[in-house]
Amino acid sequence: MRIVAWLAGIGTLLAGLIYMVLSLNRWEWNRALFFAMIVLIAEVALATGLVLRKLSAIEYSQRHPPDPALRDILRASRPPSADRFAWLHEASNRTSVFITFLVGGGIILSGVAWVMDRVASKTTTPVGEQRLTRQLGSISYPRGGLVVDDVTVLAQDVPGADDAQIRKLLRRAGHA
Amino acid sequence: MRRFLATKVGKILSRLVLGGVGLGVGLVLVSLLREATLSTHQAIDPDSTIEVIVRARSHNAEDNQTLDEMVEAQLLTCRLEVTSDMVGPLRTEGDGQFRALFAPSMDQTNRRQFKGCVEDFVIDGVQIDVLSLAEPE
Repeated sequence: MRIVAWLAGIGTLLAGLIYMVLSLNRWEWNRALFFAMIVLIAEVALATGLVLRKLSAIEYSQRHPPDPALRDILRASRPPSADRFAWLHEASNRTSVFITFLVGGGIILSGVAWVMDRVASKTTTPVGEQRLTRQLGSISYPRGGLVVDDVTVLAQDVPGADDAQIRKLLRRAGHA
Repeated sequence: MRRFLATKVGKILSRLVLGGVGLGVGLVLVSLLREATLSTHQAIDPDSTIEVIVRARSHNAEDNQTLDEMVEAQLLTCRLEVTSDMVGPLRTEGDGQFRALFAPSMDQTNRRQFKGCVEDFVIDGVQIDVLSLAEPE
């Protein structure tokens, strides 16, 4: 019964969290608030349950202290912890270790590549594109292109107007 | 002693790696949610229109309020969240289905916002599903 209650609390918390994120993603703010409230209720209930369980465990251990002699016997008879990586020490020069490291390294590298791919794909968001558009605006070509207008063409005929930059522009545009 | 230290360091490393993975997953999720809920508006032709078709149902609604009234009220409420206004009357097509025209049209962000609002809990006792939200051909 207690396990069912714990599972129900955890399930409610997870389901509320998932639906809250889904509602936020769908721009359904009232639903998101509703599910956030469910998440908060489940979270408070689980936290209260954990605190009460810890308190009852402390109370039980104070009421029923363990027998020191029995505890020492149990500790003395405890088997040594198994060295689960003994095969690694004994067979470090065999191919099996190499294959293990190769496969493990491949999995880790695949994970890193996946994360990098996700991060790289996030660099081309609509927000980023808008920011790039604003930044590129300052170095974009002027409206109407680079060809000079008639006023500038006529400006070189004005007596005294001897501007090297204007002449350079006109040469590029094919007017002079 | 060496084994004890190796076990201790291994535990700390595994916790650090797990913490880093959790942090990374959290950051990715938050950034995805931020991207999904951030407004990015585009220019819209002021003469364009967009048509919304919805299906509505009511449950335990007030006696004096009809489904048509509640749907119209919710659509008029939700159009305040976007830049479009309802033009023309709300047309009833039977079987809880309604059709309304809005002008100007909506960009992708406004469409998501409008659809989310219409399908949200806005008015008690009425639930609306957006069947279509597109510019008329």
